[in-house]
Amino acid sequence: MFDVHEMEVNFGPQHPSTHGVLRVLLKIDGERIVDAKPIIGYLHRGTEKLFENMAYPQCIPHTDRMDYVASATNNLGFVEAVEKLMGVTGQIPKRAQLLRVILSELQRISSHLLWLATHAIDIGAMTPFFYCFREREQILDLFEEYCGARLTLNCMRIGGMPDDCTPEWLDNIAEFIGKFDAAVDEYESLLTNNRIWKRRTVGIGVLTPEDAIEWGVTGPPLRGSGVEWDLRRAQPYECYPELQFEIPIGKNGDTYDRYLVRMAEMRQSRWIIEQCLPLIKQTPAGDIKAKISRVIRPPEGEVYHSIESPKGELGYYIVSDGKTQNAYRCRVRPPSFVNLQALPAMAQGHLVSDLVALIGTIDIVLGEVDR
Amino acid sequence: MINPWMRFLVWPLVKFLIAFVIVQVIVAAMNWIERRLLGLIQARLGPNRAGQEFALFGKRMPIPWGLGQIIADPIKFLLKEDIVPSSAEKVAYFLGPMLPLIPAFLVFCLIPYGPPPSFVITHTNVGLLLILALTSTGVYGIILGGWASNNKYSLMGGLRSAAQMVSYEVPFGLSIVGVLMLCGSFDLVKIVEYQEMHVWNLFPQLVGAFIFLVAMNAENNRTPFDLPEAESELVAGYHTEYSAMKFAFFMLAEYSAMTVNCCLMVALFFGGWSIGIGGYGITTAGLQALGIWGGLLGAIIFITKVMFFMMVYIWFRATFPRFRFDQLMDLGWKWMIPLALANIFVTGIVVLALGEAKKNYYWGEIVMSVIGAATIALTLFLLFRGSRPAAAKVMHASRVSEA
Amino acid sequence: MLVEYPKPKWTEKFLLLDMFEGLKTTFRQLFFEKKVTVRYPEERLEPADRFRGMFRFSYDRCIACKLCAVACPIDIIYIDVHDEQREVDGKMKKLKVLDRYDIDVKRCMFCALCEEACPTKPKSIWLTTKTYELASYDRNDLYFNMQELEYWDDRPRYTGLPEEEAPKQIEGAE
Repeated sequence: MFDVHEMEVNFGPQHPSTHGVLRVLLKIDGERIVDAKPIIGYLHRGTEKLFENMAYPQCIPHTDRMDYVASATNNLGFVEAVEKLMGVTGQIPKRAQLLRVILSELQRISSHLLWLATHAIDIGAMTPFFYCFREREQILDLFEEYCGARLTLNCMRIGGMPDDCTPEWLDNIAEFIGKFDAAVDEYESLLTNNRIWKRRTVGIGVLTPEDAIEWGVTGPPLRGSGVEWDLRRAQPYECYPELQFEIPIGKNGDTYDRYLVRMAEMRQSRWIIEQCLPLIKQTPAGDIKAKISRVIRPPEGEVYHSIESPKGELGYYIVSDGKTQNAYRCRVRPPSFVNLQALPAMAQGHLVSDLVALIGTIDIVLGEVDR
Repeated sequence: MINPWMRFLVWPLVKFLIAFVIVQVIVAAMNWIERRLLGLIQARLGPNRAGQEFALFGKRMPIPWGLGQIIADPIKFLLKEDIVPSSAEKVAYFLGPMLPLIPAFLVFCLIPYGPPPSFVITHTNVGLLLILALTSTGVYGIILGGWASNNKYSLMGGLRSAAQMVSYEVPFGLSIVGVLMLCGSFDLVKIVEYQEMHVWNLFPQLVGAFIFLVAMNAENNRTPFDLPEAESELVAGYHTEYSAMKFAFFMLAEYSAMTVNCCLMVALFFGGWSIGIGGYGITTAGLQALGIWGGLLGAIIFITKVMFFMMVYIWFRATFPRFRFDQLMDLGWKWMIPLALANIFVTGIVVLALGEAKKNYYWGEIVMSVIGAATIALTLFLLFRGSRPAAAKVMHASRVSEA
Repeated sequence: MLVEYPKPKWTEKFLLLDMFEGLKTTFRQLFFEKKVTVRYPEERLEPADRFRGMFRFSYDRCIACKLCAVACPIDIIYIDVHDEQREVDGKMKKLKVLDRYDIDVKRCMFCALCEEACPTKPKSIWLTTKTYELASYDRNDLYFNMQELEYWDDRPRYTGLPEEEAPKQIEGAE
């Protein structure tokens, strides 16, 4: 049974360092964590079952709500998977592809800003929260100008985009990214060199590259451990092959490296958007939808397609029976779900105060974990 | 001759009451100041709505800047339901919030607010020692409050906070020894007079001032040392189970202790109520010559400096993340205490070796002041010099090579 | 591509320059930067032109094709039609007449798939009314029937609405 010195504590479904409703069952020995078992399912809404009863275009608003922090990339994954199933991936016009990339990268920046805000406030620094949200507001305003919603965007359609963008929108984006680098410098001046921050994050939650690959961890946690794997380079989609960007990787696999990797990713995303803006001005306006029928009825078959969402590899596995307008089965591979499995390995031997930092550094969104 | 009853009992009592009321107004206002200042630092407005509907005799007079919060918060605390856990230890539960208050209030009669004789309440020659002793007894209330709540996490939070406060008492006391060596007395009035004749103790005792600042923050459980308050395992620490007025007592005690520590900092290192160097400037003799108005001026200078340090508390809270508990204890025992001891050592050597030519100044003290001032100047210079190259080099971390 | 681990110089470590950098940033924010609070409800932000807000419906333009009901992911548009013979331009034509067009707004997620599906130009159902303050005290308040969908005007109005999105006025009202 239990050792006399161990205590079982519930890091309950409702807790102040909230990333949703996650319950972690801790076995602690004084202050040291012996075992940490995440228990999920408090936000399960039966999304995959819902997908079986809805036509493909109707599924898109539901994919928004899985990773509600980064909904454009959810949309993108689903839409690309269906296009791959239908075989029209090569027919998406250039303008639509560039719009998708711009929206994805803006979403990546906004998701990482939210990550930084919550991570910092969990560790105790309360001002980066408000500075990050100030920038995030501007990104959400950009989204609102393009597709009408701020959080659950519903901004992509099978075969292209719903609406064309206005030149004013592109100017607003240019204005935003002009000021963004200075904003990231501001967050870094508060955190990156701060010795208190370094004491809280260096050496915490070390994940070796072998462990990371074995657990199936993807995204910034994997890159923080030193493995150079980014789906935008390894399995390129949309127009990423034509864009220049670097993949930041870390050295030690601790929380500090993951922090640095995500900050660098923000800067790289800004660079990608900066490259897309002149390209999109060269494409003919209005050419945003491929020539496919309005009724989406893919042929029989199955497809697995994954993209690089801000949290990791987001994959959609769609089985279609060729007769109906619904998917026969649509399974989502959420990155947060798989990354969360590495929590016990990372939390071994650390203190309870570090657990909060660890949950923050894996960057989970419970909507995605539970679907 | 003044009646001894008046001189030793009534007058000090009156002065104490006046000072106490002023300090409590400051403490009550600190609630608003903290939230407002935190908000403004964080690119948002703090409280700005309380008091907008204020009306006098039917005419609506909105109180600007949300200052109505100062009145609204105490009223809220008074009117809230007082929940007492059924299995709490009653006597200790009631005593818990009051114990930190008593020394926090008592200490205010030992601090000089202005030039003697009218603005100093009790003029003892061991004032500093008494203040240190009284503030140390503030720990009891926390332990008692944490234990009496009958809550495992409150107990652990209370013990942690007590351990933190006790272990930072040592650097708190040790950092002052350097000042004592220079000024030669425990009497705060004499220390202030010394500072206006020579130079603010900040410069010769830069290390001491720094240690005192850090120990001050740790004593008051403020960020970056606020683990007992902010997170403490899972809940809010020793004051979880307290509601309404008892909670308000803890808050009062905390802010009063903050004010006392700021007053100490100002009196010990920043010249108290004087702005002078080497005998020139606003000095005690000059203020005493102006009578009651001089005293008032001195008190205003003192309060301004104290408010500045309260803002520094809030500034620190907004900027820094917090330490983990073991790192906090590490810092206190392994860094602050050796540093304070080294400071005493060096100060002692310098004062002894170079202090023999006692005319009106010590050579040693001049040497130390120059070193202190040079360090401050170097820091400011490195901080403000071309931030762009420094930032680009140092914060290069996430700036991956953009071809 | 390796993120560089910043190595501070000994002067920075000794003189605590990293802490002062943070203090400098917050100090600058305190005095020299704008505060971004919008004091709702006295000040409001105006939504963008394409903002997906509350519906407005136009009975005259609707051709009762039911494409919006089909497109809705949660099936909250309830439509009843019946066929009628009506006199148009001197000939009897079979027309569809809209009996019931109800939307259960409390379950709507404002995804605008119905607006996209509508084939008329200009659209018969549109969401670009810039209205998002829909809270109410009664659950049944949020079930809008045909008349209410066309003529609701009890929610805040914003300036700068395009001409066709402006709410219709009922004669004699207001």
